[in-house]
Amino acid sequence: MSVKYTPVQWNRNKWIYDAVMLAGVGAFLWVFLYITPDALNHDRAVNPQIHNARAFGACAFVMLTIILCIGPAARLDTRFLPLLYNRRHFGVMTTFVAITHASYILNWYFAFSSSNKYVGLLSANTSFGQIAGFSFELFGIFALICLLILATTSHDFWLKFLTPPVWKRLHYLIYAAYFSVAAHISLGILQDQKNHVFTVLFIGGASAVIVLHLAAWWRERSNVAARDGAWVQVARPGAFSDGFAKIVKLSNGDRVAVYLMNGQLSAISNACAHQNGPLGEGKVIDCLVTCPWHGFQYDVRSGRSPAPFTEMVPTYRLRFENGMIEVHPDANPPGTYVDPLPLPATALPQGLSA
Amino acid sequence: MDLAQSIVMAVQIWGGIGLSVAAVFLTIGMDRIDEDARGSYIFRPLLIPGVMLIWPLVLWRWWQIETQSAPWAARYRAVRGWYGAAILAMSIGIVVIVATGLSVRQTWPADAAPVQLSAGDKP
Repeated sequence: MSVKYTPVQWNRNKWIYDAVMLAGVGAFLWVFLYITPDALNHDRAVNPQIHNARAFGACAFVMLTIILCIGPAARLDTRFLPLLYNRRHFGVMTTFVAITHASYILNWYFAFSSSNKYVGLLSANTSFGQIAGFSFELFGIFALICLLILATTSHDFWLKFLTPPVWKRLHYLIYAAYFSVAAHISLGILQDQKNHVFTVLFIGGASAVIVLHLAAWWRERSNVAARDGAWVQVARPGAFSDGFAKIVKLSNGDRVAVYLMNGQLSAISNACAHQNGPLGEGKVIDCLVTCPWHGFQYDVRSGRSPAPFTEMVPTYRLRFENGMIEVHPDANPPGTYVDPLPLPATALPQGLSA
Repeated sequence: MDLAQSIVMAVQIWGGIGLSVAAVFLTIGMDRIDEDARGSYIFRPLLIPGVMLIWPLVLWRWWQIETQSAPWAARYRAVRGWYGAAILAMSIGIVVIVATGLSVRQTWPADAAPVQLSAGDKP
């Protein structure tokens, strides 16, 4: 959480996560370079430079595929949430792997000329009028620029400075980057494959990303329906579980998390101030809800993080009307205390007493 | 100067301006707009590449914060509405580009068995 910025807020889980990730990268490169030349059809690479370029390029694609699978997998099944926890380190590492791939290419194909190698990269292939032989390098350059932007703006400072919505929009570049990588591969190395193992692996990875994202998107659309009116219905009291929230979507698109806690209800924005994570999926303990994405905490009565932290989210007013819990769609300014709404003893869920 | 040289020069100019913006923002601007940054210096060099890449966005946000022109509620408005459009565009794009790539892939003469055209001098 905030207070003062540091380069990286290390903890034991992050060390383990990064160690496993680095071991995975090392293992992938070793397998690609020394174990599977026959299977992946690179047994007769021209020289180590090209061999290494292919290994790091394939590794970057696999890492990007895993990164893009983690998000929807965690939304579909909460058991994947631990993988989401430190995904930004995964992304930064992927960018370094992609830069290494690009460096091998630049320092082999474009290094032995009197002209600038970057000028050479941009002018070597200008087949823009045809699909076969199209300048696939451009897709790779675009994807690398996207990855650079994402990696260099991954520090917590950027989230606070740009605001989560702007930061999120910027980081939607990941989808454009993944399409560009797919185009870079389809019009590049795939044109040169003489067996189909790599082709199948590539299509399988891209399909997994597409299917998981579409499934997560479909479930989200099905679960939450927009409602109109001044006061918005949330649920009947019996539908609540103590310590957990019901999430309601307002007509303006905002989501509100309404928590039941010791027979009383409180409502805050569902969007965490850190990365707009789903606060409504967190559990309340001692009035504090913990964001399932990165562990930020808020008092559900005031929307404030416990001292010395300074994050705040908006709060909402609630009422109990005709047996139904309702929320007013006008948000209070972040950090505004709202008295919890006590439920009548007769309306409490089974097993609870006020 | 051809197009490729112009692009490389434009990138260098972009980076140069970004470096200047980073120098001013990280030494003066950051302390003015973010109290959490005051007294924290070690993390600032990490931000230089980011400022170089997106310096127009940095200048826009810096101006917004200085003038307090951004509505407070905008910070809490999650942008999930864009998610569906983004993943649909990505998915359709990938299917089209992969199908296109496979359809234009040439298998001849790469897969043809080599044919010796002449016996040559050696037996």
